[in-house]
Formats: sequence, C-alpha cells, structure tokens
Amino acid sequence: MSTPETPNALGPTRTPAFEARLAKRYRAERNFRRIGMGAVVFSVAVLVFLLGNMLLNGIAGFQRTEIAVTIDFPATGLTGDATSLTAPSSAQTLEIQGLPATVTRLAEEQLGKAAAEQIAPDAWRDVVAALAADPDLITTKATFELPTTSALAAGLQGEGDPALQALAQDLAAKGKLQRNWDWGFLARSDATTPQSVGIWGALKGSMLTMLVTLVLAFPVGVLSALYLEEYAPRNRWTDIIEVSISNLAAVPSIIFGLLGLAVFLALFPGLRSAPLIGGMTLALMTMPVIVISGRNAIKAVPPSIRDGALAIGASPVQVVFHHVLPLALPGMLTGTIIGMARALGETAPLLLIGMRIFVATPPEGFASPATVLPMQIFLWSDEIDRGFVERTSAAIIVLLAFLLAMNGLAIYLRNKFEKRW
Amino acid sequence: MTVIHPNMADENAKIRARDVCVFYGDKKAIDHVSIDISPNYVTAFIGPSGCGKSTFLRCFNRMNDTIGAAKVTGLIELDGEDIHGSRMDVVQLRARVGMVFQKPNPFPKSIYENIAYGPKIHGLAEKKADLDVIVERSLTRAGLWDEVKDRLEDSGTALSGGQQQRLCIARAIAVDPEVILMDEPASALDPIATAKIEELIDELSGRYAIVIVTHSMQQAARVSQRTAFFHLGKMVEYGPTSEIFTNPIEERTKDYITGRYG
Repeated sequence: MSTPETPNALGPTRTPAFEARLAKRYRAERNFRRIGMGAVVFSVAVLVFLLGNMLLNGIAGFQRTEIAVTIDFPATGLTGDATSLTAPSSAQTLEIQGLPATVTRLAEEQLGKAAAEQIAPDAWRDVVAALAADPDLITTKATFELPTTSALAAGLQGEGDPALQALAQDLAAKGKLQRNWDWGFLARSDATTPQSVGIWGALKGSMLTMLVTLVLAFPVGVLSALYLEEYAPRNRWTDIIEVSISNLAAVPSIIFGLLGLAVFLALFPGLRSAPLIGGMTLALMTMPVIVISGRNAIKAVPPSIRDGALAIGASPVQVVFHHVLPLALPGMLTGTIIGMARALGETAPLLLIGMRIFVATPPEGFASPATVLPMQIFLWSDEIDRGFVERTSAAIIVLLAFLLAMNGLAIYLRNKFEKRW
Repeated sequence: MTVIHPNMADENAKIRARDVCVFYGDKKAIDHVSIDISPNYVTAFIGPSGCGKSTFLRCFNRMNDTIGAAKVTGLIELDGEDIHGSRMDVVQLRARVGMVFQKPNPFPKSIYENIAYGPKIHGLAEKKADLDVIVERSLTRAGLWDEVKDRLEDSGTALSGGQQQRLCIARAIAVDPEVILMDEPASALDPIATAKIEELIDELSGRYAIVIVTHSMQQAARVSQRTAFFHLGKMVEYGPTSEIFTNPIEERTKDYITGRYG
C-alpha cells in the first residue's frame, strides 16, 4: 500500500526472474529431447550390431566347402531309369548297387586316399539328389561337388590339424576344393554333419505349426473379444473372465507346454511331436493376446457409429459385423502379429510336447513328427562340431526372414483394410 | 402439475406417451411425462441442460435399450401400438422412427454406402437401380444431391460438418420413416450450416412427424409449431410454439424463455 507507484513498472512476465525461469524451461525441454534422441540412437545401434553380427556369421552358414569328384556312370555299372531314379526309394536302390563305395573309390583314384577320407560320409546322397533332379545324368560322365568333413572345411580356412590344412591348400590349388554357395541348405533337413544339414524341415515344421496356431487362435480370439465387448453382461462372472484372460496372457510359456503334454498328448498319444499338437499348444498361448488387443480395438470404435447403425434399424449382429468388426480389424491384426511373432519364436512349450527331435525328412503333414525353427537353432547351437556355429547363424537368419515375411503380410493386410474404411 | 394448453390432445397422434418415467439406476431422469405428438407438426423439446429432454426423445425409438442401466416405464404408442409390446420389433420400430444425433456420425464408408445401408439391411431395394433411385431421392430431399452427386464414392467423413449432418438426415429418410427424431441436430454446426438444417426441417415437416430437441430457443421458435418445456425431468408446459414463447402460463417457462435461467 505504501509502496509508491513506479511509472514504468515492469509487468509480471517481463521481470528478470521470469526470464530466468523461462530459460530454465527451455533448457529442460532441450535436455529431454536430447535424452529421448539418445535412447533411440542406442536402441538402433544395438539392433544394427545384432543384425550385422548375425549376417556376417550367417552368410558363411549359407556356404559349404565342396570337393569335386567325377563319376563316369556307364563305367561304374550303376543303372537306373527316370522312374526308379525319381522314386522316393532311389537312395536305397543306388545304395544296394554300391554307390557309396563307388564314390569313395573314385575319390581315392582322383584325389588320393587322404582326401577321400575327408569326404562327408553321406555325401553320396547328394549324387542321389542330383540324379533325381536330372535322371539323364546316369548315362553320362559328370562332376559332382560333394560336401567335405568339417575338419577339412576348417583346414581350408587355415584352422585345425596342420596336415589337413596342407591337404586343403593342395586340393584348393588344384581347383578341386572350394567354398560354394549352398542353396541346398534351404531345401534339406537336419543331418548329423554340418556339411549336410538343411533348414527346410524345420521351416516347414514352423509353417505348419503357425498355420494351426493362426487357424485356431485368430477366430476364437476375435469372437471371444466381440462377445465379451458387445454381448456379455457386465457382472461378476465377466469380471472373473476378464481377469483370467489377462492372467493367461502373462503365464510363462513353459506352463502351456505342460498343459499340452497333460491334455493334448493324453488325448492324442499318437501325435507326439506333431505340428498339430504344437500349434494347439501355441494357440492357447496366443489367444489371450488376441482377445486383449481385440477388446481394446473394439473399445476404440466410436459409440456414435454404433448408435447411428442401431438408430437406422440394424440388429446387434449387423452392427457388429458391418460396423464394429471392420473398424476394429486393423487393431486386431496388430495384436495377432504380436501374438504370432511370440509363438514363432517359442521353444519352451514345444520341448515338452516332444518337438525336440532329429527330423531328417521334412514333415509330410500336420500329424507327422516335426521340429520348428527356434528348436532347430537350439539343437544346432548345442552341437560340438564347429561347422554348426555358422549353420546356427544361418538358421537364425532364416527365422528372422520368416518373421519379417509374416509381419509384412499382416501389415499389408492391415493397411488394405484401413484403406477400405 | 404439467400445464397443457387447450386442444393439444390429438385423436390422430403419431406418438402417444402416458406416464413415462425413465430411471438411470436409482436416479429418476424422466418423471411421469404424458404427451401427444401430432403427425402434422414439428414438435420441439426445450429446456436447460440435464432436464431429460434428450432422454425422453430416445424413448421413442427405444435407444435407451442400449444403455444397460436405463429403465423405461409407462406407455408409449406409435399409431396406437405399444412400442414395448410383444408385437413390436425394435428393429422395425427404428426403421419407422428415424434418428439424427447431436454430433454428425456418418459411417466411415462412401456417401453412397451411407445412404444405401438402411434400405439394404431392410431389403427395401431389390436391384441396384432401385437403390440408386433411393439414394438420389434421399440426398435430394436432404438438399445434398447437387453438392455430392459427382463424388458419391468419396468417404462420408470427408464432408464438412454441416454436410455430414445433412448426410445423416438423408440416411434417416432413406428407409422412409414415419417419424424423425432430432437430438440437437445443429448444436455442433456454424450459423450458415444451422440455417440450412433448419430450412431442411421446414421442408421435411409435411412429410414426416418431426421431434427436435434443441438448446436454442430461437431455433425452436423458428422451426416448430409445438413446443414442450422440460425442467428437472418433468414436462412443465406443452402448447403451440407461439403461445409458449409469447404467452406462457407457467412461471418457470416464462423465466426460462426470458433468460432468467438455463
């Protein structure tokens, strides 16, 4: 009161104290932005390191060391025609005719005894596969690039036994030994030596398992979400169901494996290791994720759209299928992607229902024994043989590519639906 | 203690409500309201916020059914038929009593689909050509045809607010209802769009019985011939619009009209 009025008094927002506070505010803003950017840079760096490392190691996994052996079929007495060579039993037929011994003998003649010993024991199966692909070869003289043992493969890279290193250098100098791109890796199945393994068996097993999971979990999850959101009364029972579903989504995956073991395998004992049982077990795990994301997507549909449809005389089912579901579907697909991605990478529950097996031939159907990609990675990473390290990385690349393809498809579908609405 | 002006009882009332009460849980939102809605007039419900006028409007097409906690008692008849009766199907009722909401809510589909949806689900058109006719007629009646005829495949949500609301009106009249309920149809629109909506209500008034809830007393005075004033869940006064605005009987109506509260 007694303070005299200053003629040019500064307003409250023009005092030095206010300006200091303002500067502090801007500083806080800048710092926050820097921290956020740092977090993003860090996560990108980790991702690049991981992928780069994987690719560098994995590329070697798509190659293998091969040794050239020439076979003059008419001179060996091996016979066959288009029918017998393409039949599934062609390997047996040729084995009886002495193909393995012939390969070893020819290798000894052409490359010497030491080198012949370093040809992979089941390398003759590559000859069988080549003949099945082109039966006319049996009447000609052909050169085959056959897999070596991992010891010789290591020798070519200057590692391991000095004697084999010398042998490898010698053979390479003659042009008989080299590392080649091994596209057969994508077509073969598991084997005992890293030179002969392939990923197709596990990849097909994963595809079949995921298909079962999707076919079971998606419709059940979506319908549950729709019923719970649109029809179910709000009472104690639906509260209990809601809490149970949330809990189910958080249950460790190995528990689902035990459930699959106790329930599904008890019901269908003949289907041990089958993609059908694996898919059913993973569907149990994926379903709650789809239900929860589905319910959130349905909640996000504006009530005014529902009112508009009801007011024009649409029945509740019509409201759901003409309006709510199409609007909620993109969100539901996002949840499905997350759930399926998790299921694809899952190993623990499948261990318990017997999918940890050696699968030398790709599964023929949903009921035949199979393994899946992450399980194959786990099995190979457990092997002692050095050659499996690279094969494991290659398998990881295949798994990531599969994951990427699956997610890409889902994102494509989601965008397609979003455009229509 | 509702005051009803003389000659308001209507032998041919389109909608007849008797002692209607609406409860939200324990709360009574509408308290014993009785009214006759005449087919030939626009009837306006006015009153301060929260007086229950929208709730009462939503009784006429049973939209309160969609709110779990809401309970409606009393008798409501459409052409002498109890709308809660066993012979009345709610889907059919809503086809006969259309509704336009406060916020324009076109479906996120094309303009054509928005209009065609009602006739499609009720099977009103057998051929695509019939549907085309209905779409054109409805849009023309809603005064929107000239503005959208070249872009019927565009999304309904891409239109301006006023156009969206007229699209919603066109959607409601596409199924040829007998009554159109409008819940503050212009409250989210600018004055020019509002004027267009009011003009439209005027044009539609001969063809359909229209009940409109509005906050704006000027709007009620402009578009309606009958006005009901609601306060605290009760209908205070019901009479010809001119009488209500120039010569109200009830003190509370007078206070509201003159801006004493509201």
